[in-house]
Amino acid sequence: MQQIYDDIRGDFRYDSELNGCLNCGICTATCPSAQFYDYSPREIVQLLWTENVEQIYDAMQEKIWACAQCMTCAARCPFKNSPGGLVAIMREVAIKHEMQSAKDVLRPFGRVMLKLITTGNQLSPDMIQPDHFPDWGPNIQKVEGDLSVLRKAIPVKTLQTVETAWEVSLKTSVEMYTIWEMTGVLKSLELMDENLFDVIEDFIDEKREEYEEWLEEQEDDD
Amino acid sequence: MNPGNQNGKTEGQGVAGHGSFFQQTDLSRDEAVQATDWVRKHVDRRTVDLGDRMDDIREHMYELEKEGEIIIHRITDEHEPMMVKTLFGWDKKVPTKQLWHHKSCGQCGNIPGYPTSLMWFMNEFGFVPGKDYLDETDQTSCTAWNYHGSGIGNVESLAAVFLRNFHQAYVSGKQHGFELGHFFPLVHCGTSFGNYKEIRKYLIESAELREKVTKILGKLGRLVDGKLVIPEEIIHYSEWVHVMRNRIASELQKIDVSNIRTTTHVACHYYKMVHEDAVYDPDVLGGNRTAIITSIAQALGAQTIDYSTWYDCCGFGFRHIISEREFTRSFTMDRKIRVAREEANADVMLANDTGCVTTMDKNQWIGKAHDQNFSIPIVADVQFAALACGADPFKIVQLQWHASPCEDLVEKMGISWSEAKKNFQEYLKEVESGNIEYLYNPELAYGGQA
Repeated sequence: MQQIYDDIRGDFRYDSELNGCLNCGICTATCPSAQFYDYSPREIVQLLWTENVEQIYDAMQEKIWACAQCMTCAARCPFKNSPGGLVAIMREVAIKHEMQSAKDVLRPFGRVMLKLITTGNQLSPDMIQPDHFPDWGPNIQKVEGDLSVLRKAIPVKTLQTVETAWEVSLKTSVEMYTIWEMTGVLKSLELMDENLFDVIEDFIDEKREEYEEWLEEQEDDD
Repeated sequence: MNPGNQNGKTEGQGVAGHGSFFQQTDLSRDEAVQATDWVRKHVDRRTVDLGDRMDDIREHMYELEKEGEIIIHRITDEHEPMMVKTLFGWDKKVPTKQLWHHKSCGQCGNIPGYPTSLMWFMNEFGFVPGKDYLDETDQTSCTAWNYHGSGIGNVESLAAVFLRNFHQAYVSGKQHGFELGHFFPLVHCGTSFGNYKEIRKYLIESAELREKVTKILGKLGRLVDGKLVIPEEIIHYSEWVHVMRNRIASELQKIDVSNIRTTTHVACHYYKMVHEDAVYDPDVLGGNRTAIITSIAQALGAQTIDYSTWYDCCGFGFRHIISEREFTRSFTMDRKIRVAREEANADVMLANDTGCVTTMDKNQWIGKAHDQNFSIPIVADVQFAALACGADPFKIVQLQWHASPCEDLVEKMGISWSEAKKNFQEYLKEVESGNIEYLYNPELAYGGQA
């Protein structure tokens, strides 16, 4: 528990995100999540400010995941605290320590992570279909038609895609995988969801092979 | 015990909302001003102390460049910049030409009328695709949506992605037969904009972070003379629309929109993250709010109507829109759609970010299940401007992807929705036969197949 607190405090952003607290509550008053959850950005600041390790740990079990990361709190704080920024640090630390709350909360987010880490795009046209979002209603597109044809009717060539938001070159994807690896993002993912990690790893291997082949073809052409 | 009764001063004098504990301070006006002076100075932006409170990160960038640590991708006269004022009264250069479109994953995947309307405007101004602007496949999303939603990711990965993409923007000029730095990045997404500014600040402040990412960028072959390339300004597309608004209105506007009541929702990550950098203009809402979006509506002659929850976020929440949808739709219906409808009786809400438009556009239908029968069209500033300038609602503005009731808005602007839809359905047959109209036909895959 102490290690978790030390990791939060050890983040290089910590000192610029937490300066003190007047208890004025303007952060909580303007916080969207505070209106719907048992969550208060002021509480986050107070917990970290008063160094109550046990309560900080408890807050990381659930509360920090309520934050919508809109940063309204940071914009309003007269002391230039950023409760939303502190939540971002706490989430990273929760993942590092493989906290169950992080695993539970992020499971429904897995499909989006799969898309992001494999393609570089977070949201793609094939995800925004009535089957996936029934609560968006029957009218989420105003024109009937095959998705690929509707995308082809967008007058910009890079956008005429279905599985990605825009067409991303192989080289670009491979560079992104290198960044994920070198910065420990893939490792975090493995800690959180091993099955998802395995799927992603296979995908990355395949893309890298494809890129190598493409490079060889280029050399042969030369 | 009621303290009001204790001294006998305030009994029966409590102000509504303060309850029986309300107690007069009996301060004179001068004393009251003095007592609240600190709060006013620090909270009210118009009296913000510009002295020692906030460093301008650009000054530190210039120092690092002098010391030979980084290369600044500068905005030159060739970019035909226009100057604007930021929240803190600083000058910010907004390039108007030679722009590298940094696309948004949400916009392109979900609301493609943003990028198409923007490129349509550039063509209408006579910009030459491939010279005056560039759209290419060699870019990733900023990945900040994932980070803010899940916490998977870190400052180092966000910084490496930022530097990778902006290095590509810097060298793309050379790759297309111009000078290095010819194209300057124009960021389409509000979250990318806020994230990149935040990350730039960390990079300038932390030598350790620079050292770490230099290794990564070196491995990717994305250093210039062994140095990191960092842009002089981070520019959001709404800022381009803001500085071009008078040209848009005077040179391109075809439709009188003076009968249209507009409300504005500006993305939180545009003006709340790294807020010192957001654009303010004393001629737009008295400079009390960021100028973008409202300024283009004003320039076009539309009515701009305020509402009490202007400052609220949309309820997107990054993770919430995917896995906590009750929160997202409750917040957007209660705090935004209902208020804009009841207080402003708006014909349209104009926004400037993927997450906001998606949230407010898609979550109206389910409101009916809770007797929240409110609806309002949600489109981007640039889409509304394109409509006012005669762009096709389907082919260019791509309103077919929106769930909110755009039909009424289009009709009120004097454009026939049914006729435009019929024409578009005819056009879809042409698309199926391969006869596709392009605004721009770029080289799809520089340095690797698509």
